[in-house]
Amino acid sequence: MSPTKSGESSAIDVDERATPDRRARAMDPARSPASGDRAAGPPASPAIHVVGLTKRFGDTIAVNSLSMTVRRGEVFGFLGPNGAGKTTVVKLLLGLARPTGGEALVLGAPVGDRETRREIGYLPELFRFQALLTAREVLGLHCRLLGVPKPAWAQEVRAALQTVGLLDRGDDRVGTFSKGMQQRLGLGVALLGTPALVVLDEPTSALDPVGRHDVREIIRGLRERGSTVFLNTHLLEEAEQVCDRVAVIDQGTTIATGSLDELLGRHSRVRLKVGGLGENWWTALGRFGQWHRQDEWLVVDGIDPSRIAALVSELVARGGQIEAVIPEHETLEARFLELLGRR
Amino acid sequence: MTATLAIAALTMREAVRRRLLLAFIAITTVIVGLSAWGFDRLSHTHSLTSGETNIAVPQALILFMFMFSFVIALSASAIASPSISSEIESGVLITIVTRPIRRTEVLIGKWLGLAALLALYAGAVCALEFGVVDWASGFVPPNPVLVAVYLFAEGALLLTLALLLSTRVPVIAAGVVGVAVFGAGWLAGVVGTLGSALNVAALRTVGQIGRLVVPTDGLWHAAIYYLQPPSLIAQHLAEGGREDPFFAQGAPSPAYLLWVACWFVIVLFAAVASFDRREL
Repeated sequence: MSPTKSGESSAIDVDERATPDRRARAMDPARSPASGDRAAGPPASPAIHVVGLTKRFGDTIAVNSLSMTVRRGEVFGFLGPNGAGKTTVVKLLLGLARPTGGEALVLGAPVGDRETRREIGYLPELFRFQALLTAREVLGLHCRLLGVPKPAWAQEVRAALQTVGLLDRGDDRVGTFSKGMQQRLGLGVALLGTPALVVLDEPTSALDPVGRHDVREIIRGLRERGSTVFLNTHLLEEAEQVCDRVAVIDQGTTIATGSLDELLGRHSRVRLKVGGLGENWWTALGRFGQWHRQDEWLVVDGIDPSRIAALVSELVARGGQIEAVIPEHETLEARFLELLGRR
Repeated sequence: MTATLAIAALTMREAVRRRLLLAFIAITTVIVGLSAWGFDRLSHTHSLTSGETNIAVPQALILFMFMFSFVIALSASAIASPSISSEIESGVLITIVTRPIRRTEVLIGKWLGLAALLALYAGAVCALEFGVVDWASGFVPPNPVLVAVYLFAEGALLLTLALLLSTRVPVIAAGVVGVAVFGAGWLAGVVGTLGSALNVAALRTVGQIGRLVVPTDGLWHAAIYYLQPPSLIAQHLAEGGREDPFFAQGAPSPAYLLWVACWFVIVLFAAVASFDRREL
C-alpha cells in the first residue's frame, strides 16, 4: 500500500506555470501541500521542490520555467517525449548543470549541496563504470565515496549485489558485463547507503523483460522502505505500473501533474449490459452521467468512479438483470498523446 | 582527504591493471639493456684515453637521459590528457561527481595518482640507467636523486598542463597541445642558447621567457647539472663555457624553483576552477 495516496491533490494540475505569488508560497516548504507526507520528523520538506526552473543553451530553451513538487516517499514518474528536457532537469536537480533561472530544493537543500548528495542515489541514463574493476570493487569505491563506515562495506556491497541479481558476478570485471548487467550494477550503486531519494534516469532502457520486472520490484521495495523515487522514463507502461504520481513535460515545461487516476480520469466511463429494464427506466438515473446506447451496451460517460456500485444497485432495484459491468479508462499512452497534442 | 586518496588509489589501480607501468618498464629495460652494451664498449674502447672516457661517458649519459626525459614528458601528457575529458564522454565521471565529494577532490586525486605513477617511472628509469652505467664504466652522477626529481618535475609539469586541458578539450587535442608545448619549451631553450652563443639579446630573451612560461627546459637543465661530473664542467668552462642544450653551468636558482612551484600551483588551480565550472 502506498503511504502517499492520502496526501494527493484532488485535481489534475494542467499547465501549472507558477505565478510569482504562487512561487513565493511554494518555495516555503512549511506551507507546501506536500508537507508532512511521509518524512520521519521535521523538516517535512518535499523530496524535490522546483519553481520556475529554467535552463538555456544559447538561444535554445531546454527547460522553461518548470515547476513541480515531489513528495517524500512517493514514486514520481517524469514523462515526456524525446528532447522534452527530462534529462536536463535531472542534471539540474543533481547539480551537474547550473540553472539559468528559477529555484530548486532537493531534500530541503539547494541543488548540488554536498551533504545532501549523501542521501541521493542516482542512476544516470548514459554512464559507464571503470571497466577494469570488479563489480564488488565498484560498489566498494562508492561506499568509500559515500562515507559508509568501512566495517559496513561488505554488507552493503553484498546487499546491493543481491538486490540487483549480480551476486554470482560480483568478482567479475565490469568490462565483461553486458549492457543490461551494467545497468543492474548502476542500480545497485544507486541503492548504496539507503538513500532517501533515488533518481533513476531511464533505468530499464538496456534490460530484458525479466530485468524490467526486477527493476519494478526494486522500485516498489524502495517505496515500501520510505524512499522517494524520481523515475525519468519514456516507457509509459513502466510509469503506469509503479508510479504514484507523474508529471508530463514537453518543450521543457510541465503540461500536467497528478496521480495516474487523476491524470487518466479512471473509470470515467462505464459500459453495462443489462436486461429486464422497463420503460423510462433512465429518467431517475441521469444524475450518474450521460447515457447513450452502443449496440447492446449502455454507456455512461463522466461517471464518478465511486458511484458505479450505487448505479448497479439502482439498476437492480429497477428490475435490471446485470450481465456485465466494464469500467473503462484511458491508457496513459492515449492521455499522453492527447496532452502533447493539446499544446 | 579520504575522497582524494580514494580517487588517487583508483587512478593508480586502473593504470596498473592496464599494464601501463609494466609496458613502460619493459620497454625501458630493453633500452637500458642496449645502453649497457653501449656504455661497456665506450668504457673499454682503446681509441679513447681514460680522460676522454671520463668526459664521453657522462656526455653519452646526458643524451640518454634526454631521451628518457622526452619519454617521461610525453608519457605524462599521454596519461593525463584523457583523464577528465574521456571520462566525461564515457559517463564514468558522472557516477563519481554526484557523490558527496568536491570536484576539487576528484581532480587533485587524479593528479596525485598520475604523479605517483610518473614518480615511480622516473625513479625506476634513473635507478636502472645509473646502475647500468655504474656497472659498465664506474661513473655515478654527482646527485642521482636530484636528477630523478627534476626529470619527474619536468614530466609532472606536462601532466598538470594536460590535466588542465583535459577539463575542457577532447583527448587528442589535449595530448597534441601537451606535446607541442613540450617541443616549444625545448625549442625556446635552444633559441636562448643560440642567442647567448651568438650574443643576440632578442634570442636570449626568447629563451628566458620560454623557460618561465614553460619551465620544462629549465627543469631539464637542472637535471643536466646534477648529471655532470666536475671534470665535464671544468672542461666546458675551459672551452669558453658557452651555453649548450646539453650542458648546464649552474644549479637552478631558488627564485627559479620558487617560480616553478608557483607555476604548478597556478596551473593546478586553473584546472580545478575549470573542472568545477564545467557542466556535465
